[in-house]
Amino acid sequence: MGLPGSFSPQEAETRSVSGDTSMTAATATGETGGATRAGAALRPLLRFAIPVLLLVLAWFYLGPQQFVNALTRGSIYALIALGYTMVYGIIELINFAHGDMFTVGAFVSLSFLVFLGFSGAITDVGLLIIVLAATFLVTMGAMGAIGVTIERLAYKPLRRAPRLAPLITAIGVSFILQNVIQLFYGPFQTNSPKVFPDSWSVQIGGATIPVLSVFIVGVALSLMVGLQLFIGRTRLGRSMRATAADRDAAALMGVNINRTIAITFLIGSALAGAAGVINGLQYGVARFDDGFQAGLKAFTAAVLGGIGNTVGAALGGFIIGFIEVAAVVAGYGRWGPAIVFGTLVIVLVFRPSGLLGQQLGERA
Amino acid sequence: MSVVSDLPSKTVNGGLGRREQLGARAARHRSWTILIGMVIVGSVLPVLAQLPPFSLAQPANAWIDGFTNAGVFVLLALGLNLVVGVAGLLDLGYAAFFAIGAYTYAYVASPFGNGILGLDILGSFGSSEAAGFIFWPMLLVGAGVAALFGILLGAPTLRLRGDYLAIVTLGFGEIVPIVFLNSDLLTNGTAGIGGLARPSLPIIGGFSAINPYPYYITMLVLVTIVMMFCYRLIESRLGRAWEAIREDELAAAANGINTVVAKLLAFALGASTAGIAGVFNASKLVTVSPDQFTFVVSFTVLAMVVLGGMGNFWGVAVGAFVIYTINNVLLKSLNQFFDTVGIPFLQDVDFIQLQFLLYGLALVAMMLVRPEGLFPNSRRKRELHAAITETEQDELGSVAGTTEEDLPQ
Amino acid sequence: MKFARVGAAIAAAAIVVTACGGTTSGNKSLKIGITLPLSGSAAASAEPARKGAELAIKDFKLNGYDVTVSVLDHSVNGVHDPQQGAKDMTTLVSDPAVVGVVGPFNSSVAKVQIPISNEAGLTQCSPANTNQDLTKGEPGKQLRAKNPDKINYIRVATTDDIQGPAVAQYAINTLGLKTVAIVDDTDTYGKGIADAFSAEWEKLGGTVLGREGAPKGTTDYTPILTSFKALNPEAVFYGGTTATGGGLVRKQMPQTGLGEIPYLGGDGIQDGPGTTEGSFTNIAGEAAANSYSSVAAIADYPGKADFDAKYKAAYNEASGAYSGSGYACAQIILKAIETAASKGDVTRESVRAAAVDPATTFETVLGPVKFDEVGDTNQKIISLYKVDLTAGEGKGDWVFDSQVNYGE
Repeated sequence: MGLPGSFSPQEAETRSVSGDTSMTAATATGETGGATRAGAALRPLLRFAIPVLLLVLAWFYLGPQQFVNALTRGSIYALIALGYTMVYGIIELINFAHGDMFTVGAFVSLSFLVFLGFSGAITDVGLLIIVLAATFLVTMGAMGAIGVTIERLAYKPLRRAPRLAPLITAIGVSFILQNVIQLFYGPFQTNSPKVFPDSWSVQIGGATIPVLSVFIVGVALSLMVGLQLFIGRTRLGRSMRATAADRDAAALMGVNINRTIAITFLIGSALAGAAGVINGLQYGVARFDDGFQAGLKAFTAAVLGGIGNTVGAALGGFIIGFIEVAAVVAGYGRWGPAIVFGTLVIVLVFRPSGLLGQQLGERA
Repeated sequence: MSVVSDLPSKTVNGGLGRREQLGARAARHRSWTILIGMVIVGSVLPVLAQLPPFSLAQPANAWIDGFTNAGVFVLLALGLNLVVGVAGLLDLGYAAFFAIGAYTYAYVASPFGNGILGLDILGSFGSSEAAGFIFWPMLLVGAGVAALFGILLGAPTLRLRGDYLAIVTLGFGEIVPIVFLNSDLLTNGTAGIGGLARPSLPIIGGFSAINPYPYYITMLVLVTIVMMFCYRLIESRLGRAWEAIREDELAAAANGINTVVAKLLAFALGASTAGIAGVFNASKLVTVSPDQFTFVVSFTVLAMVVLGGMGNFWGVAVGAFVIYTINNVLLKSLNQFFDTVGIPFLQDVDFIQLQFLLYGLALVAMMLVRPEGLFPNSRRKRELHAAITETEQDELGSVAGTTEEDLPQ
Repeated sequence: MKFARVGAAIAAAAIVVTACGGTTSGNKSLKIGITLPLSGSAAASAEPARKGAELAIKDFKLNGYDVTVSVLDHSVNGVHDPQQGAKDMTTLVSDPAVVGVVGPFNSSVAKVQIPISNEAGLTQCSPANTNQDLTKGEPGKQLRAKNPDKINYIRVATTDDIQGPAVAQYAINTLGLKTVAIVDDTDTYGKGIADAFSAEWEKLGGTVLGREGAPKGTTDYTPILTSFKALNPEAVFYGGTTATGGGLVRKQMPQTGLGEIPYLGGDGIQDGPGTTEGSFTNIAGEAAANSYSSVAAIADYPGKADFDAKYKAAYNEASGAYSGSGYACAQIILKAIETAASKGDVTRESVRAAAVDPATTFETVLGPVKFDEVGDTNQKIISLYKVDLTAGEGKGDWVFDSQVNYGE
């Protein structure tokens, strides 16, 4: 039941694990494994209908303005979550330093724009497009390079070690990144040039939506679609999926494991960098410790969607964005993080592998 | 790379060498070993604190106070070791139980708390000094309440695989302080609950804020008891069940181990030491507030467990001590140290701003050099170093499987 | 064992230190402790306080005594840590040469430190704590439980239960506003001052249309502001500091349609001109216009210009919001040492008695300061400021508007 381009190592597991456990898992969660024809037809429909229904409900409950706010926030979480999920899918590492890659990306884009001499909105559309394209390319490229370097230096030696050692290393790297940023930029918030004018707006559904929001969501979705195509259709993407499914078998088939893992980090970090650029455009500030909270939520998003599954990570990111905004609208803004985690727990109780994760028994 | 000693572990004839003999003897009389060990440690530390170079960095009383605070983390690390090191359940939100223990004490031992409960517990003692007697039974109550929450929070995680378990426990670790933070009426919110009673004993009277020794000795006793308890646990059937679950849960279940009960007990017992630590810490700071229980605390304790050598209680205790000292004493006094020593370049560097960086570098370096921790058990060390060799094989793009482990010994 | 070797190296180096150090004169050696969070985001506000205090101590001369500074940083991983604060206070208390302490910055740290310093009878002066529960009423008494008659904790900032209402009164009476929406940062200071503001606002007949909380680390306030916009408030009040989001909220108000209404806050957002990195005016930029804040201390005092010049000469940077307060605290402790020396021996008790004596007026860089019987300053002057975008070299700065004296 793999969605095209989904990154789940679990796919292979379902085939290799003994029949007993998958049955146990299946009955435990109430799924019938497509036993009946009606069930088989109904499920895809439900899968499509439920999200659409929820979106419509959200539109009416939140109102167009907050809906857009949720989409914007969700885009950032989703982009970061993609990096988490890809890295986890391929080497089973919870890369706690990934949130800080987002922060570094925000500062790289900030410095780049300041270096080019911009400090405020650019109203000339042509120039704006060029500047934006350059910023994204430079930031994503830089972040990709940094990501690969960190992988080589800190994670590669521990690749086959039990999970905890690289986890500690990841947090160590996180501390290092934060402190380095702090040494260069100081412990306080730093202004990031908001080159995309806030004032441009467009009318959608009777409400005034800033073009910036449309741009952000558009960029995020394009990157996500691009990623899916890459994973699903290219050879490198296939190598990534193979390595995620079974590293040794992939090596036997001639996949260069080191290169594949490096590319995974490259892409994941580049996406985090893109999220950093977006953050700068939308909020106009960056601080060395931004990454921690964002990373935590993005990681939650990745797990919510089914860790290892890229579509799930994106979905999880948007879901969390919506939950947080809904909490504010309902008057429970203070409880936002608690509600997010509470949702995660509830989802995991009913679907232990996340929303789009594969149903399985215990992996030994 | 032998750490513990150079005594041979095997004689030429293949019998047990001296180190193994000592180890075996220690294992048989484990409780005595712990008791004697703690007595030695407990009496040596105050002496060390009076001597240079320690006495130059800070006054002796400050060192004793520091040791006591480190002891709180030792208790936490011992408990987390049960959960993570022995049972293999990755708990990233351990600070939640610490908070629960602390707030439990706050409810019983403060005027605000008593008001919420509707019982005047403090008043029933007569004098405010006598009220401190409540501390001793509260150690057990705090452990119990935390254990209860361990079961409550552990229950939803039973069907989850390793890293899903991690994120859920992380979530709980975030949720609990948020609940304490926002429930103003019940917990006084961000201001926290103050006015907690300090412990007191019949002859000695109430503990003081400036004489560190009563707290220090209490902590030594607590650590000793908890350690004895932990060692008994791992040598019991439950301990073996945990190790089986850690290595291969499916096989363990297939062998008839009730994994549900075992895992819940792991959470419960692990949480109980955090409860004890929470009660103790609350009685020492005389105030509890949500910002004392952040993710950083959870992570710090985890780092202590990993660096100490998972599964090994003495190792974990030393790991806790070392990390606490690095984080809270060494890194902070680097500035003063380099100022007095007067190395020209380093004198100008503001080490306070580099604390994070140095700590992070130390963590990364530690994991790269010795990922099994300071005092691992030998099997884990072989696993990890074999793992590193395997990775090097990957380098050549060669087929995995022909590592040194597979060659005939 | 590698660790042992490193430890031995450190030990050896430290023994060298013993051989080299030590005072040469026959003067009695006294120390003033400074306990502040000095790394990470906390440093932005607390460092200027430390610098101010050290400036006063450096210049101090008294016959027969050498006064030095012992600086302890209670931030852990970049955030103030109450546990470390307690430990640092224990360290200071254990050092017999320490006769006074400047700090802390955060009320949550003060709560764990005061019981310790109170039991030891050690004078403690905070340049910045504003939470009223540290001194007043039952909570205050609990903190001094060991030595209830010998208070030792004083502060030069007045309390939030005066500051919050002052802003409310100013907004309603002087600015003529009637409705407000409030955001706080869920921290002790932020929530406290927001609560005080809110209560006073309603007492004066205004309406609080909405109240939300966003913990520090929040970067996206647009959902909260969008929901406020729907309520159409005439102003927004922020309880918290720039570091916890005060600047960001204001910065995001124009894009959510609230750019035209005034922005109110306490001393947490009053932190210097737009040329200072990370200050409110720097973060909010153009949007900073039409913002009002208060300072829980006298603002327009004679000698401010001199102090600023002196500070700049010593540190090559402009003074921060709490530099003056840090300097004043140090001045008070030093004056107490002088008084004690003139009467006989300088001990902790004699310094304490001199510092908290309600009859003494201390001449400090903040003007004349007297302490009441619980250690609060009698200088219950709240100064109100507003942002002028043309000041501060064109980048905006807070300019003094008026001050109100709430004292007797």
